[in-house]
Amino acid sequence: MRDGTPIPFVLLEMSLLVVSGPLVTGVIQKLKARLQGREGASVVQPYRDLAKLARKGTVQADTASGLFRAIPVLVLAATVAASALLPVLRADPPTVPFGDALLLLGLLSLARFLMAIAALDAGGAFGGMGASREMTIAPLVEPVLLMVVFSTAIAAGTTEVNALTAYRETTWLLAWRASDFLGFAAILVLLPAETGRIPVDNPDTHLELTMLHEGMLLEHSGPALGCLTLAAHTRQIVTLGLVAALFFPVGLSHGTGVVVVSLAAVAFAAKVVVLASYLALVESSYAKLRLFRVPAFLGIGFVSALTALALRIL
Amino acid sequence: MNPATAARVIDDLGALLLLSMIVIIAASQIARAIYAVAAQSLLIAIAGAVLAAATGNRDLWVIAGITLAIKAMLLPWVLHRVLRQMNVRREVEPVIPNTATLTITVIIVVMAFHLNASLGSVRQSITGNALPVGIALTLLGVLVMATRRKALTQMVGLFASENGIFFTAMSVTAGMPLIIEIGVILDVILAALVMTVMVLRVRSTVDADIADLDRLRG
Amino acid sequence: MVAVCYAAGALSSMVAWRSGRLALGVAHGWAFLGGTLGVIVALGVLLAGPDCYLTLPLATLFPFARQSLSVDGLSAYFLLVISVVAMAATIYGPAYLRTHAPDASPARQATQALALNVFLACMVLVCSAGDAMTFLLGWEGMTLASYALVVSEDVDGENARAGLLYMVMTHGGTALLLVAFLTLTERAGAFDFVAMRGASGALDPSTRATLFFLAFGGFATKAGVIPLHVWLPRAHPAAPSHVSALMSGVMLKVAIYGMLRFAFDLLAPSQSPLPMSWGWVVLTVGATSAVLGVLYALQQHDLKRLLAFHSVENIGIILIGVGVAMMFWRRESAGGTVATLALTAALLHTVNHAAFKGLLFLGAGAVISRTHVRNMEALGGLARRMPWTAGLFLLGAVAISALPPLNGFVSEWLTFQALLGGASRLSGPAALGIVFAAAMLALTGGLAAACFVKAFGVTFLGRPRTPEAARATEVPVPMLAGMTLLAAICVAFGVAPGYAIRLLDAPTAGLLHGPGASAVVTAHGPLVLSTGLTPLGTPATAMSMTFMATLIGLLVMGLVGVGWVLRLRAPAVTRRLAPTWTCGMEPTARFDYTATGFAKPLRLIFAPLYRPRREVTREMAGTPYVLRRLHYEGEVVDFAETHVYHGIQHGVSNVARIIRARSTGRIYGYIGFVLGALFVALLAFGVRAQ
Repeated sequence: MRDGTPIPFVLLEMSLLVVSGPLVTGVIQKLKARLQGREGASVVQPYRDLAKLARKGTVQADTASGLFRAIPVLVLAATVAASALLPVLRADPPTVPFGDALLLLGLLSLARFLMAIAALDAGGAFGGMGASREMTIAPLVEPVLLMVVFSTAIAAGTTEVNALTAYRETTWLLAWRASDFLGFAAILVLLPAETGRIPVDNPDTHLELTMLHEGMLLEHSGPALGCLTLAAHTRQIVTLGLVAALFFPVGLSHGTGVVVVSLAAVAFAAKVVVLASYLALVESSYAKLRLFRVPAFLGIGFVSALTALALRIL
Repeated sequence: MNPATAARVIDDLGALLLLSMIVIIAASQIARAIYAVAAQSLLIAIAGAVLAAATGNRDLWVIAGITLAIKAMLLPWVLHRVLRQMNVRREVEPVIPNTATLTITVIIVVMAFHLNASLGSVRQSITGNALPVGIALTLLGVLVMATRRKALTQMVGLFASENGIFFTAMSVTAGMPLIIEIGVILDVILAALVMTVMVLRVRSTVDADIADLDRLRG
Repeated sequence: MVAVCYAAGALSSMVAWRSGRLALGVAHGWAFLGGTLGVIVALGVLLAGPDCYLTLPLATLFPFARQSLSVDGLSAYFLLVISVVAMAATIYGPAYLRTHAPDASPARQATQALALNVFLACMVLVCSAGDAMTFLLGWEGMTLASYALVVSEDVDGENARAGLLYMVMTHGGTALLLVAFLTLTERAGAFDFVAMRGASGALDPSTRATLFFLAFGGFATKAGVIPLHVWLPRAHPAAPSHVSALMSGVMLKVAIYGMLRFAFDLLAPSQSPLPMSWGWVVLTVGATSAVLGVLYALQQHDLKRLLAFHSVENIGIILIGVGVAMMFWRRESAGGTVATLALTAALLHTVNHAAFKGLLFLGAGAVISRTHVRNMEALGGLARRMPWTAGLFLLGAVAISALPPLNGFVSEWLTFQALLGGASRLSGPAALGIVFAAAMLALTGGLAAACFVKAFGVTFLGRPRTPEAARATEVPVPMLAGMTLLAAICVAFGVAPGYAIRLLDAPTAGLLHGPGASAVVTAHGPLVLSTGLTPLGTPATAMSMTFMATLIGLLVMGLVGVGWVLRLRAPAVTRRLAPTWTCGMEPTARFDYTATGFAKPLRLIFAPLYRPRREVTREMAGTPYVLRRLHYEGEVVDFAETHVYHGIQHGVSNVARIIRARSTGRIYGYIGFVLGALFVALLAFGVRAQ
């Protein structure tokens, strides 16, 4: 045990992330619609979809094994567990150390791995195609993400997200060193890939030529699909939250007073909304890349991250 | 503005300059590369202004102004015009795959920083990473020229390279004498004009780009 | 105690001579007993404290060399690794051999059992050797016994070729080792390690470096490091599956043991660090092996060959840890922990890899024993037919892909932390190089995950593609028990790694003469992993797999509870089965994604490394619009094989051609050459002796 955020508070932060995950998707959809001159669905539409899925029955492929039923639950559990590792409101590390940025990335990878396994289970070509493409992009994203984490972790000597945030926590943009600009540029390249959006993936389509993530969900239905959709929402907000924690370490509270905590909540919401509108903007202004153009696109991120490291340590 | 803050801002600008260079190298469309080089020139102008404010060197204000007017506005506009007039494919046509160019970029950046460590004795008016960033920009500009087929993209490389030289000069000596700077800029303008005329003429008379010049061999 | 364990192994091999079906069970039983005793001995040494040392003089076989066994922390640790996998393999073995080849001749079965026992005994001998003679004898016995096992299941001559390549490569490696050990022996004047340790202090740096690189080359050949790996993906799959598990999971680790023993113990100068270049060489070789190993594994469709390439990858990961440990050993200021951290990571990954690779090979063996097919394109749909095997294989796949909450993640996490610690203590391009190695490690992890989605998905999921796969049934209980033992280790070392770290105290403290592993990694109690102090003096990263696993478990239970409530509230909601949507056509196994198709995007992205070759022949049915048959053939070449070995081959055959042009064919002429060579050699040595 050490001083820091008590466990119930960590769990509260975790639930907050999970509950507001669908809202972020709703906000992005709404922004996209407005940017494209449409009215768009309400921002709470993702919640309605989830509620609808929870009420429905399921249809399962007759060739699938028992894994097919178990995996949606495991995927959701792994993603939600990852969200416990993120500082949302309080800057101090939890009293009991849960894990660090590497474990967070590991849990997200676990969720992706299991989802790809389930996609192959039904035995259709679409699931296989989605899994194959998802598992092609993921190994290319992971090293860059790791380098960005390292570029901020190397000075602090730790990979615990809370500790990193605390180490870097000072005033607004002036706290940014030169390398942070490049690191952030790398993150901006990675964000669409990590959240499954244009120009790497297209979340709004079920056309086999364009889909990565959606292809893997195709055979799921009912509450299982709800689990996987909620996991995708959570994954998105966790990714945005990680970027916020690494690059905008401001506004986190140091106590548990009502005022500071609600201020921290407002700050977090603001950061996530800014990043979400970036995603909406990119999605509205770019076309999806061909799959084999994606490595070159991610290459920009790799070079930026490496240059960030060069600026940091050379 | 006190020197410490200036050094910091120059450092940050250096990072953004490198970023714009990466965008130039990775851009798949010529228009985007031109925007990036314009942004880069804008950053150079800002850096000049910051330096001028920090050192009180009045020549630097002039240079920053000229850079802004010519390199950030005039030349990109010329390039866009040429691009429209030529009516060619708007994609960059690299000589080697883009991934290979990006790999070379990484090597050049690392080498530039490594070189800087061994050049420690060179006195710098601005501490920090300005010198290696300048070296890297210059070399990367040459890289762009070497790996692109089209004359237009080679011009983009030339401007980027010149930006790098400018930044290096600023970091080492807090700005070269005004006359030299103006001379360099005039040089670049002249080069741009000559190349523009050449490209348009070659194109209108024999309908070929400089990529096709290798066919002239006897 | 060592003697008892050793004798059990020897005795069992004697029993095995009595040919017959019974011999199989008896011999494996003795080997199991040997393994159990090995575990007890090793645990005894490891838990007794850092200074516990067992020595045992052996009967003198050679008049010039006094032989002995000596077990210190490092030996005991590797003994533990060998023994645990041996236990699992011997539970599994008899049932596997009976299922796989029910009509094999008793003589062959007895030979296999004998070779297995000799193999195990020799590995134990290598790890507990107290002198160079015993070490090399054990090393050679290990090679010969495993060769016998590789060629034992020969059906079409393929195994014999694999075995030949194996012999040639490893003997090349052994020759290097021989030179290194004999030079040290000559300096020390005796064969035993104690004398060598004393003598190595007087070596000059260049001799020391030469000896290190000789030994490194020798051990690297056995460990299957790229580009010396070409024998590995051929030889490992050829052996019976439980032997493959031992070869991949354990035998390669014996080479790691040799490397550690040689670099940190025998050759280490007293009180001064190892040259920085050694660490860099090992780190570079490790990172290259890791990335290339997994890239080649991705394109394999033979289940066991794929696993064999993953051994190349994991040896690379271990070497990354070893390299960092070499770089920072005795180079840090007081209280420095990076070397200990890196060595802990490497040693932990050693046991972890033994567990999950053993498990995966045994799982692959279970599939092969039922279907007699190694090509995963001809499998599929096995998860419904062999659910236990599928579950255990999936567990191994998650572990090897370095995903939490299993053991592979823990050791890779420690490796990452060691790299981070190293990078923040270095500056300049060196630090950048270390971060680059970390990025390569992340790439390796991601690619491994992709590879095992493919391996598991194509083999076990979807529909069966051939009648063999459709007919498969679950394997007998002993085989499942062997796998379960290793799976339990994967889970235990993943969820509660702090207790495994305790076992690493003796080897790390003994080898590095510094703080033990648990003083660094489990400073906050066994439930929390931490990494010492940052360069700033603040506490570095802390992580708890136990708490995280508990959280995941609670979340799963909560979600299942919610699902249950949902179903209670709406009993009308149904679950029904329906065929997979295949665009309106009759769903058949041909709709399933193939392994070739799954790996295609990565094959194209990494095409410069693979140089993929493909041939498509179309057979038209009269018109250009109707295709009667489409034949696709693709191949990926091994870079090292084509570029390095074919180059050498060309050189050798050119030289041979020149010699042939000069040769006369007269036998006395050749004898004359020999005489001349001897004369020149004597002259050379005579001059040196003066």
